[in-house]
Amino acid sequence: MRLSGKLRSALVIGGQGIRARKLRTFLSMVSLFLGVLAVVTVQAGAVIADRAARIDLELNMGRDGTVQVYLPDHAETVDITLDTVSGAAGTAALTSYRAVVGEPGVTPVNAGGMSFDHLGGNYGGYTCDRYGNCVSLEADKTKPPGQAVEFSLYGLTGDLRQFRPFHLVSGAWLDFTGGPLMSPGLVVNEELAKGLNRYQVPAELRLAGATTNATPRIIGVVDDGNSMPTAYARSDELRTWSPPDRVAQLYLSSDAEPVAQVLKTRLTAAGAPMDQWYSQVIDSEEFVGDQLMLLRLIFLGMAALVLLIGAAGILNVGLATVGERIEEFALRRAVGTPRLLLAGIVLAETMIVGLLTAGAATGVGVLGLEVARRVLGDREPLLAEVAFPWEAGLAGVIAGVAAGVLGGLIPAIRAAKIPIATVMRA
Amino acid sequence: MTALLELSGIAKVLTGQGQPRPILTGVDLTVHTGQSVAILGRSGSGKSTLLSLIGLFDRPDGGRYLLAGEDITTVSERRAARLRSERFGFVFQRFFLLKHLTAAQNVAMALVNGQGWLPRRSRRATVMAALDQMGIAHLAKHKPTRLSGGEQQRVAIARALVRRPQVLLADEPTGALDTETGSLVIDALHAATERGCGLVLVTHDQAHAARMGRVLRLVDGALVQEVRR
Ligand SMILES: Nc1ncnc2c1ncn2[C@@H]1O[C@H](COP(=O)(O)OP(=O)(O)OP(=O)(O)O)[C@@H](O)[C@H]1O
Ligand SMILES: [Mg+2]
Repeated sequence: MRLSGKLRSALVIGGQGIRARKLRTFLSMVSLFLGVLAVVTVQAGAVIADRAARIDLELNMGRDGTVQVYLPDHAETVDITLDTVSGAAGTAALTSYRAVVGEPGVTPVNAGGMSFDHLGGNYGGYTCDRYGNCVSLEADKTKPPGQAVEFSLYGLTGDLRQFRPFHLVSGAWLDFTGGPLMSPGLVVNEELAKGLNRYQVPAELRLAGATTNATPRIIGVVDDGNSMPTAYARSDELRTWSPPDRVAQLYLSSDAEPVAQVLKTRLTAAGAPMDQWYSQVIDSEEFVGDQLMLLRLIFLGMAALVLLIGAAGILNVGLATVGERIEEFALRRAVGTPRLLLAGIVLAETMIVGLLTAGAATGVGVLGLEVARRVLGDREPLLAEVAFPWEAGLAGVIAGVAAGVLGGLIPAIRAAKIPIATVMRA
Repeated sequence: MTALLELSGIAKVLTGQGQPRPILTGVDLTVHTGQSVAILGRSGSGKSTLLSLIGLFDRPDGGRYLLAGEDITTVSERRAARLRSERFGFVFQRFFLLKHLTAAQNVAMALVNGQGWLPRRSRRATVMAALDQMGIAHLAKHKPTRLSGGEQQRVAIARALVRRPQVLLADEPTGALDTETGSLVIDALHAATERGCGLVLVTHDQAHAARMGRVLRLVDGALVQEVRR
C-alpha cells in the first residue's frame, strides 16, 4: 500500500513534469528519435547486408561445412573423378561445357555467354566465367548473327542443391534418381531463362565438341545467384552427347571424406600432379564475417556516436530542466516528498522519454521497411525476404534507454542534492 | 504535558565563502499545542536558518530537539521527510506555488508526495475543503499567474494546512503583501492555532508579531524575550 502510494505519487509528479514542459520534452524526443532511427536503419542495413552476403555465399560457394575441391589438371582427371564420385552420397562434381541453344550455324546473340543486359558492346575474343574458365569465340565470329544464345552448362554427378541451395523459381529441379534420358533435362538460371524468353530460340542444343545436336527439355528455372546465363543438367545425360573437357569443381559434404580419399589415391596412381589438389571448407563466418568487419565497425562507431548525441541532448535538457526545477524539487521535499522518490521521478521521466522515443523510432523503422518492401520488393527480391531485424529494434530500445539513463542520472543526482532551505532564500 | 516543540541549546554553523560562521549559538524554544510564537530579528540574524532546523530541512550542529517528546536532533532524512509531511506545514514569503499547476493542484502537492495515498475523489474533497477554509474555493482551477499576491499566499496556506499539521512554520508570510492583505493572511494563520496548531511566525512587522501569544527576538544566535514597548 505504501509502495503503491509512492508509485502513484511518482506517476502524478512525473506526468505533471512532462506536461509542464511539453515542447522541451518533444524537442529532446526529436533528437533522440532521429538518433535511434539512425541506429535502427544502420543496424537493419547491416543485418540485410549480412544476410545478402550469406545468401550470396551459399549460392555461389556453398553452405557452411561444404568442402570445395579443385582438381589437378590431368588427362584422366575427368574420367577418374566421374567414375569415383558418380552415385556417391554427399558428393557432386561439376563438369563444364560451353553450350549454345538455338539456330545452328550462327553467332549467338550473346556470343561468349554474356549477360543479356550487357549486349551490344564490342566484346573481346574470349570470355571467362567466374571459375576462370575461358573460352575463345574466334570461330564463332565468322558466322552470321542469329537466333541462338550461348551459356555455361554444368553437368552434375550429384545433387548440387544440397551444397548450394538454389532457389527454385519455377518447374522442377534435376531428378538424380533413375537412369539418364536421351534428351538432356536442363534447369536454367534466371538470366538464361530471360534470354530464352526474349529471343525465342529454337530448341536445339549444341555442346562444344558434340557431333550431333540434342533436343533439350527445360524442366525448371532456379535462382543460382549467377548473373551470367547458366544451366545445370545431369552429367550422365550430357555425357551421351559430348565428353566434358574438364571437371570444374567437386563438392563434398563433411562425411564424404572417404570418397575424397579414394579419389586422391586413384588420381595419385594415375600420376596426376597432386600439388594442384586444392580444397577449402566453406565457413560463412570466415568469408562473410571478415567481409562485413569494416561495416560492423562503422556501424558500432555510428551507434556510439548516435547514442552520445541522444544522451547529450537528453542530458542537456535534463540539466536545464533541473536548474529550472530546483525550486520545485526543494518545495516538494519541503512538503515531505522523499528525495529518492524525486530522483527516481527525474530518472523515470527521461527513461520513459527514451523508451517511448525508441519505440516510436523502431515502429517507424518497421513501417519504413514494410513500405520499402511493398514499393521495391519486386525489384529487390532480397528485400522481400527480409523481416525487420529484431536486433535493430533491440539496439534502438537499448540506445533509447541508455540515453535516457545517462541523460537522466546526472539531473537526478543533482535534484537529490538540492538543499530544501533553498526555498526560503530564493 | 509534553511540549509540541522543545529546542534547547540549538547551534548551527554555516559555511559561506569558505569561512564557517556560527549563525545560531544556543537557541531555546518551547511551543505547546495551540501556541503561537513570533520571532523578530534583523536581516541575517538567522531566523530562516532557525525555521529550517525546526522544519527539519536541515539538522542542528549542537543542542537537542524534541518533537512531541521524540528526540529528532539527528533524525534520518527518510524519517525527516515523513515528519515534514505529517507534522509540519510551511508558508514562505514568496508563496512558492508551481506556475504550471492550478491552485488545487498546488494544494494537492502536499498530498501527492509519496507519503501515503488518497484516491482522487477524496483527495479532491480534501483540497477543496482546505481552499474553502481560506475562502478561495472559487479559484481552484486558476493558475498562480492569474492570482493576486494575497490569493497566492492563501493557496500556499491551504497547502500548508491540507494535511492538518501540528506545527505551522511561516517565514515572513506577509513580506510581499500590502498591510491589509497581510492582515488577512495573519488572520488565517491565527485561525489555525485556534484549531490546535502550533505556530512559529517569523516577521518584521511589529503589529503582526503582537498578535502572537509570545514575541521573541533572535539576537547573536539566541532567542530573547522581546521587550514590549
Ligand atoms: N547556505 C549558507 N551558507 C552560508 N551562510 C549562509 C547560508 N545561508 C544563509 N547564510 C547566512 O546565514 C545568515 C542567516 O541567514 P538567514 O537567512 O537565516 O537570515 P534571516 O534572519 O532569515 O534574514 P532575513 O530577515 O533577511 O530573511 C546570513 O548572514 C546568511 O548570509
Ligand atoms: Mg529569512
